[in-house]
Amino acid sequence: MSAELKLILLLTLVALAVIAGLVYRFTTGRAKKVSGERVNVAELGIVKNGQPVTHLTSKITFLQFSTDFCTFCGPTAKMLEALEKTDHNVTHLELNVTDRLDIVNRFNILQTPTTLVLDRSGRVVSRIGGAPKAHTLVSEIGNFDI
Amino acid sequence: MAATQIDPRGPRFGAGITNILSVFAVFEALDKGSEPIAAAIFGLFAVLFLIGTLYGTSKHPFGWIYRTFVKPRLAAPKELEDSRPPQFAQGVGLFVSVVGLVLHIAAVPYGLAAAAAALFLASALQSYFGYCLGCQMYLGLKRIGVIRSA
Repeated sequence: MSAELKLILLLTLVALAVIAGLVYRFTTGRAKKVSGERVNVAELGIVKNGQPVTHLTSKITFLQFSTDFCTFCGPTAKMLEALEKTDHNVTHLELNVTDRLDIVNRFNILQTPTTLVLDRSGRVVSRIGGAPKAHTLVSEIGNFDI
Repeated sequence: MAATQIDPRGPRFGAGITNILSVFAVFEALDKGSEPIAAAIFGLFAVLFLIGTLYGTSKHPFGWIYRTFVKPRLAAPKELEDSRPPQFAQGVGLFVSVVGLVLHIAAVPYGLAAAAAALFLASALQSYFGYCLGCQMYLGLKRIGVIRSA
């Protein structure tokens, strides 16, 4: 293979990596509006502070799906917990789906963290793939009439 | 896999070295004559990924280089990360390295070059963008049944 062709191939690879990286940067952590499937949290087996979660108590619930093999799940949980502490309308729930293929398939989870934004009735308002950006969370909360 | 907390810049630094080596691997794999050089780099990758898969990225030689020569010159990390995602990704890297070597031995045209290109892309995303493709594959692999629950 000629040196020119090799160089072109290598530059193509570099371009691909940069494009993939930028697409990731710009798409991750943004909220997508989804039309409201209703989630019954009691069925999911979520535990918060040692207690099983049976119903939603806040206007806005961030339901975070995590796995053991997830770089940004910990920081995302920290961020949402901090939000819960400062805003009484917000609850953060986290479910580890490492061994919950049923949940993964049911919600079609392709990456973790994936965070569902639920209203009080359990309707899924939006879905955030990847570590949420701070402004995403602010605007999600702003979408609710509080 | 035991979970510990590690400096997230360690795996990214290691991926940077892998990325540079993978450029050479791609380049050498494109010619029949120099393909054995690429295969040798892949042999090295396989050994390194095996260490990373078994013992975690902190025990990986690139992790050692990071800790010994780079980390002392940097500020403390803002936050630590779970050691399991990068360790899992090392396993994905090992798989790609072995596939590359098998394709080379089977004399599949450009098979090794394709595997080297895959490693290049994954290590570039990890190193320069902090996006761990191997970690992201966990759920996908699980859904298609490649990984089973313990």
